[in-house]
Amino acid sequence: MSNPFKIIKTNPLHEDIKAYAVACRLSREEKVSSGELRDFAEELMDAISASCVRQGAKVLGHIKAYLVYETGFLHAHTLGEPGDVTVDGRDGDPVNHFKLVINSVVYGLSEEALKEATESALKNLRSKFGFLRESSFI
Amino acid sequence: MKLVQVAGWLGSGKTTLVIALGKGLSKNGKTVAIVVNEIGAIPVDGKVVEEYGLTVNDIGGGCICCQVSGNMFRTIKALYEGPRPDIVIIEPTGLAVPGSIRETIRAGAHEMDISMGPTIVLIDIPRAEKLLGYEGLKRLVTAQMVDADIIALSKVDMATEGELLEARGAVCVVNPRAEIIHLSTSKGEGVAALIQAVTETRVEA
Repeated sequence: MSNPFKIIKTNPLHEDIKAYAVACRLSREEKVSSGELRDFAEELMDAISASCVRQGAKVLGHIKAYLVYETGFLHAHTLGEPGDVTVDGRDGDPVNHFKLVINSVVYGLSEEALKEATESALKNLRSKFGFLRESSFI
Repeated sequence: MKLVQVAGWLGSGKTTLVIALGKGLSKNGKTVAIVVNEIGAIPVDGKVVEEYGLTVNDIGGGCICCQVSGNMFRTIKALYEGPRPDIVIIEPTGLAVPGSIRETIRAGAHEMDISMGPTIVLIDIPRAEKLLGYEGLKRLVTAQMVDADIIALSKVDMATEGELLEARGAVCVVNPRAEIIHLSTSKGEGVAALIQAVTETRVEA
């Protein structure tokens, strides 16, 4: 993916709103249960939003993620308010790998800061859950 | 084929409402297609809507109110020349100005037998004060409200009476012609009224 910052400023009303996206395949030798995937998604949303706020974001447009695997999917979402992370979807069988898309849109944060907030939160959570980032799939 | 927009700032509940409208209209015998446009390099919402069994046309690469308006029109045309559903629900990005989208459709509408349904704009009541507290966001949210036929005050189950009264007052000042509906999609409030409006309302193309 050559340019993950995808907002082209043609509408002046879109100024100061930045977007950053990640698409990757994560894996672990030990199978991951649906419950663990839900925990991962929830903690990821919390970690990215907290990092954005720490770095000075004025308003979180949304932080959302889509996890998909052979027999299930999850959709996680937060607006950055305390306790507002939602995780919906269809739980499936334990898996060794899954695809993850993260989409962060924030008002009042630089592109670089948003990238750092998103990538560092993902890195920390991958480490905690023992997930290996195999590849991007876009 | 009727086109309906469900617009509003990010996180206001558009996708949840679009799923509810799609399911409700299908149950009433209407054929429905959903056009989802999402800001950011990699769309998520379209995939989620598809998981609920609805037909989705994803438009990526930018906002359909400005950068990729041509893609939006081509998608509408392909639906018209192909499956031609009764109703097309367009969910633009949370940054989109609905009037610009309507203009794009109007410019090409003479080629097709399409009608315009209502433009529904969602206002996230629990976050309204925060959004309107920043000049840049206030301009955008206000521009969205100006273009609405229906303003849905969303997440009313999480709002106080005071917040609702204040929001109604603000909406009446910005767009006095808009119908106001209280919406809590998760609780089912307001959804039937919106399904009825989408089915019965036609606005000037």
